[in-house]
Amino acid sequence: MKPITTLASAALAAVAGVPLLATPATAATICFAFQDLETEFWVAGHTAITQTLEEEGHTVIERNANEDANRQLEQVRDCVAQGVDGIIIIPQDGESAVTIVKEAQENDVPIAVFNRPPSDLSRGIIVVADNETIAEQAVDFLVEQALAEAEDGQTLQPLILVGDLGDPNAVGRKNGFYNAIEKHADRFETPIEVATEWDAATALANLEAAVTANPEIDLIFTSSDFLFPTIRSVLEPRGMWQPRGEPGHVLLGGLDGDATACQLIKEGFVDATGVQDLYFEADAALTAILEAIEQGEYQPNEVIEDPGFALTADNLGEREMDMWGCVLLAEGFLDR
Amino acid sequence: MTGSALTRFALRNATFLIFAAVLLLFGLQTPGFLSPESLGNIVKQASFIGIAAVGITFVLLTRGIDLSVGSVMYLAPLLAGFAMRDLGVGVAGGVVTAVLAGLAMGALNAFFVVRLNIAPFIVTLSTLFFFRGAGTLLTSSRQFDFDREIVDFGLSKVAGVPMPIVVFALVALVAHVVLSRTTFGRQTYAVGADPEAARKAGIRVGWVQARVYMVSSAAAALAGFVLIAQIGRLDVAFGEGREFDVIAAAVLGGASLFGGIGTAIGTVVGATLIQTVKTGLVFTGVNLYLQPIALGGVIFLAVLIDSLRATRLRAARRRTIRPSSATP
Repeated sequence: MKPITTLASAALAAVAGVPLLATPATAATICFAFQDLETEFWVAGHTAITQTLEEEGHTVIERNANEDANRQLEQVRDCVAQGVDGIIIIPQDGESAVTIVKEAQENDVPIAVFNRPPSDLSRGIIVVADNETIAEQAVDFLVEQALAEAEDGQTLQPLILVGDLGDPNAVGRKNGFYNAIEKHADRFETPIEVATEWDAATALANLEAAVTANPEIDLIFTSSDFLFPTIRSVLEPRGMWQPRGEPGHVLLGGLDGDATACQLIKEGFVDATGVQDLYFEADAALTAILEAIEQGEYQPNEVIEDPGFALTADNLGEREMDMWGCVLLAEGFLDR
Repeated sequence: MTGSALTRFALRNATFLIFAAVLLLFGLQTPGFLSPESLGNIVKQASFIGIAAVGITFVLLTRGIDLSVGSVMYLAPLLAGFAMRDLGVGVAGGVVTAVLAGLAMGALNAFFVVRLNIAPFIVTLSTLFFFRGAGTLLTSSRQFDFDREIVDFGLSKVAGVPMPIVVFALVALVAHVVLSRTTFGRQTYAVGADPEAARKAGIRVGWVQARVYMVSSAAAALAGFVLIAQIGRLDVAFGEGREFDVIAAAVLGGASLFGGIGTAIGTVVGATLIQTVKTGLVFTGVNLYLQPIALGGVIFLAVLIDSLRATRLRAARRRTIRPSSATP
C-alpha cells in the first residue's frame, strides 16, 4: 500500500476523488466507533478515515458513543455481531480502550485504536501521537524566543493550560512542556498550572484567576489549540493580546495544529503550535488494519508512533501545508 | 449572646459563615485574592453557573429536577448564533432568540412532565441527550464561531461593572422578587411543600410546574449566551456536565432537593462560594490533582453543616412546642 506522506497530497487526492490507498483485492466492512467529534481534530480525522475507506470501495459502519465508554463497548459488540472485517476506534479513555480491544481480539476481529492510546499498548494496532515530544518541540521554540528577548539574568514566568488529567494525551503534553522548561530551569520561575478539563468555561474562569494573581506572565502554552479564543478573551482586556513585535506581546503556543492556530500564527498572535500529523495517523491506521484483513491476521499488535512537528513563526513558510489546520484554513474552514 | 444563641446564629447562617471563612482563608494566604479585581472576577465567573442555578432553584422548589440545563446552555446560544449570522438580528436579537429557545425547550420538558405525567428525572435526562444531539446535528460536530460584536458585548461594562455581573445581578433580583413578592412565587413554594394541599387550595399545580421548567431552561439559555459572549466560540462539548454544577450551587445555597425550601439569594451565594473556592485554589497554586478533592471537600462540608443545621433547628422547634402547648 502506498503511504500518504503529506497533507497537501491527501487534501488534493480527497478533492480529486482519488483513492488515498491502493485498491484492495476485496472490499471490507469496517466498523468505525468514535467517542465523539467535539473538536476540529476529531472531525478532520473522522473525515479522513471515512472518506478514504468509502472512496476505496469499503463499507463503513459508523458508531458515535457520545462520550460514553460503556455505550462504545456495546457498539463494538454490535459490530462484532454484524460480522465486520475490522474495527477502528477512537476510545473515550485509555482504560475502556483496553476492554474494547480485548473484546474485538477475542472475537477474531482485527482492531486499530486511533490517536487516543489504551493504557495497555501491547494489544491491537495502536496509532498514537507522541504528545510529549510534540509539545516539547513547540515549547522549545517558545523558550528560545523568550530567552532571546529577555535581559541577562532575568527570570521568566511560564504558564500552562493543562487538559483533563484523566486523558493520557493531556498528561503527555504537560510532560513535554516541563521537559522544555526544565532545560533552562535557572531562567524560569515555577510554572503556573491552570486546569481546563478540556472545557472552555473552566479554562476561562481559571485562566482569568491565574492572570489576576500573576499579571507578569511571559509565556503561555495551551495543551490544546481550541482554547486560543478563550485565552484571547482573558488577555485582550489586559492589553496582553498583541502580535509579535508589538509591546505587550505574550509568547503563546499550543498543540493540535487546528485552523485557528494556523490563522493566529499568520497574524502573529501565536508563536508556535505542536502538530499531530493527522493524515499520517489516519493513513497508518487504515494501512495496518487493511493489511491485517487481507493477510487474515485477527490479532495484529503494533504501535505506530506519530512524531509530529512544531509549526512556528520561523518555519511557517516551509511547513504550513504539512499542518492539517492550515489546509482546512486554505479551504475556507473558518469562513463556513 | 449566649452559647446556644451563638450556635443557633451559626447554624442559621452556615453558608454565609463558610463563605466568609473561605474568603479569609485564601485572603490570608495571598493578599491579592481580596483585591477588588479578584473579587469582581469571582462574581463574573460565577455568573455562568449562577444564572442557571437561580433558574433551576424554581424547579427544585417544586420537588422537580432539570438535568437538561447543560444541553440547553449549548443549544440555545447555538440557535441564537444562527439567527445572528443568517438573519442579522444583532446581539440584542441574539439574546432574545436564546431566551425564547430556552423557553421552548422548557415548555417541551413541561409538556412531558405535566401533561404526560412522566418523572422529571426521566424527561430531562432524555432531553439532555435530545437537545445536545440536535445541536451536534446542526453543527455536524463543528465549532460555531460568533461575530466579533458578541465578544465586544460580553467583555463590555455598564458603569464599570462587567456585563456578565450585570446580567447575573438582574436575574437574581428578578428571581428574588418573583419568589418573595408574587403569587407565582408563593404558589411555587406551596406546590413544593405539599402538592396535594396546594391543589386542594385551588392552585393550578400543573401550570406552576410548567412555568418553573420554562424558567429553568430560559435561565440556562441566558447563562450559556452570557458565557459564549465572553469567548465567541461554541464547541460541541460546551455545557456538558454543567447540570451537576448548577444543582450543586442551588443546593449549597440552601435549596432542598425535596422541595419547598430555597431562595434566589441563597443560590447566588452557593454559586459564588463554589467559584470562590475554585479561584482560591488557583491563586494559592494548589496541585491540579488536589483541586477537585479540595472543592469536593468544601462542598461536602457546607452541605453537611447545612444538614446539621436543619436537624438542630427542627429539634429546637420541637422543644419550644411543648411549653407553649401546655399553656392554657
